[in-house]
Amino acid sequence: MSEFVQLLVAGLTTGSFYALIALGYTMVYGIVRLINFAHGDIFMVGAFIGWTVLSAVAAMHLPWGIGLLIAVLVAMMLTGGIGVIVERFAYQPLLSAPKLSILITALGVSLALENGVLLIFGPRFLTYPHLISNAGFTLAGAQISDVQVGIIVLSFLLMAALYVFVHHTFIGTAMRALAVDRDAARLMGINVERIIQITFFLGSTLAAAAGVMEGLYYTQINFFMGFIVGLRAFTAAVLGGIGNIPGAMAGGLIIGLLEAFSAGYISSRWTDVIVFLVLIGTLVIKPTGLFGERVVERM
Amino acid sequence: MIKPLLYAGLPLLMTIGGSAAFADTIKFGVPVPLSGPYASAGIDIANAAKLAAAKINAAGGVLGKQIEIVAEDDTCDAQTGVQAAQKLIDGGIAIATGSYCSGAALPELVAFHRAGIPYVLDAATNPKLTSMGFDDVFRTIGRDDEQGPFAGAYISGYLHAKKAAVIDDNTTYSKGLADNTVAALKKDGVDVVYYDAITPGQMDYSAVLSHVSSLSPDVIYYTGYFSEAGLLAKEAAALHVTAKMMGGDATNDTTLIKTAGPAAEGWTATTAPLPQFLSGAKDFVTDFTKAYNTAPGPYSAYEYDAVSVAAKAIADAGSTDPKAITAALHKIANYQGLTGSITFNSVGDRTIASYITVVVKDGAFAPGMKLDASGAWVPVQQ
Repeated sequence: MSEFVQLLVAGLTTGSFYALIALGYTMVYGIVRLINFAHGDIFMVGAFIGWTVLSAVAAMHLPWGIGLLIAVLVAMMLTGGIGVIVERFAYQPLLSAPKLSILITALGVSLALENGVLLIFGPRFLTYPHLISNAGFTLAGAQISDVQVGIIVLSFLLMAALYVFVHHTFIGTAMRALAVDRDAARLMGINVERIIQITFFLGSTLAAAAGVMEGLYYTQINFFMGFIVGLRAFTAAVLGGIGNIPGAMAGGLIIGLLEAFSAGYISSRWTDVIVFLVLIGTLVIKPTGLFGERVVERM
Repeated sequence: MIKPLLYAGLPLLMTIGGSAAFADTIKFGVPVPLSGPYASAGIDIANAAKLAAAKINAAGGVLGKQIEIVAEDDTCDAQTGVQAAQKLIDGGIAIATGSYCSGAALPELVAFHRAGIPYVLDAATNPKLTSMGFDDVFRTIGRDDEQGPFAGAYISGYLHAKKAAVIDDNTTYSKGLADNTVAALKKDGVDVVYYDAITPGQMDYSAVLSHVSSLSPDVIYYTGYFSEAGLLAKEAAALHVTAKMMGGDATNDTTLIKTAGPAAEGWTATTAPLPQFLSGAKDFVTDFTKAYNTAPGPYSAYEYDAVSVAAKAIADAGSTDPKAITAALHKIANYQGLTGSITFNSVGDRTIASYITVVVKDGAFAPGMKLDASGAWVPVQQ
């Protein structure tokens, strides 16, 4: 029982990271039908901006709680800005070009971000300050740290906020309209370019939040860190049905839990095999993913 | 694929510029990871090679020529390694001295062998590398099938553990060391309750650790690299894992301590002796720190010796003909390097390779224990 709870918490923690990042993949796909391969690296950039801000704030001797809040907010805003800049200069000119061009551009942006960070920060691992304690509590024999609970709760709050935003605001409605038919949305007077930029901004801020949390929790960051996590998050988005927001959340948590339980109960050597077999199995039975709807146009 | 290209461009430019300025240099190829997750280790190795070359050049070079170090990025990847080796061969190197990951070193040495270029390995420890039947492969560091039994002896003979867990990361080096350690532990009568692999880069290993912990081993021995080792130490502490945490020589890096913080205390690594703990390497540590603003990495002294012994072989051979260099390397006897006396056996491994343990104490790696000639455990003198 204690091991089950332990694995459950571990799976939910990693799953929360995957879900937050998967949202960025899914929102962008839903609206511009682009698999934004640079999104994992946006997450990495968020972690580096958070690290920079935290280092600067540490020099000012503020209470760490406030420092942390500043770091998260600044990282979210700046990374969101980078997401918008990337969209404006790399993707927007190609929105009406063949899908393959924009896909290759996304790969290019990914490499540019990775190598940009490599040149600025160097290839060594950077470590976040050990701000948060390992303090925790015991639940059903399992050790659960306060940070894990914090990560899971904060991720769910962010996801809930996004859900409310998309379903209950004017901009959210416009985003959903765009997802259905871009040209019709434009005819309805929606500023399409603007809405696409807002989508990139939102996706990037969520990835940045995940990046800073990942840095705080695991402490080590590296320019390469976005690759594996990005790949898992992309898998989560596909599993949940790419283009579907609750699907991305569910997909992230399912991948996290699958990883934890297969490592705990079967063999960690087989984790990747199991995760991707489940993905393939799901897609064979339901090609649109768990929550995906049938769409006419597929990449 | 732009990463290797980006880095490949730098030495290439340097080579072009260099060949115009000093037409008469002897080129040493250094294939190491200069980008990717293990770049920091590769840079420490390449810097040590440059330091060795600078020292030899200051003393007049070899055969009246200057040594030029050409570092090439292999990103610890087999495929990139082959390309890096090919680039070095095309660049006209006389000898290769380098390597970090065994997985990349293996295809590199095949490429060098085909081109007839000798390869002196400094850090790749997989036994397979010197068991290919090639006579032009040498190694200044010990082998995993020596480290594995040493780790096994430490776990059973010094820690008196009854149950042990061994975790690798599925790379050539890591799997090889883990296999050798598991075999040694079983021979010593230790119950190996868990032997499995983790995926590097996944960040969260608490699922694996909580499962391992439920099997209550006395020791957990991780044979992968330092970044995951730091995460394992940190996550094990958060889960209140009581087993003693240990790692192989690739966990011997300060990134582990920075990542795990206080949780790193007590982490024990089996390793070839570090320059800091070698009486002959005091000047090297000072020079390296002065030149690069950072302490030498765990393999820097072995790379320094690889370059020095290669230069000695070229001087002995009196030519840069690869066959003559290879023959001279086989004749090297009791060459006094930073890491002790160097003599290569018939397959190219050192006749004497020693291992020690190092322990994280007060936020730094401190010397631990070693086996003395009589087979008793004694503390390593700093």
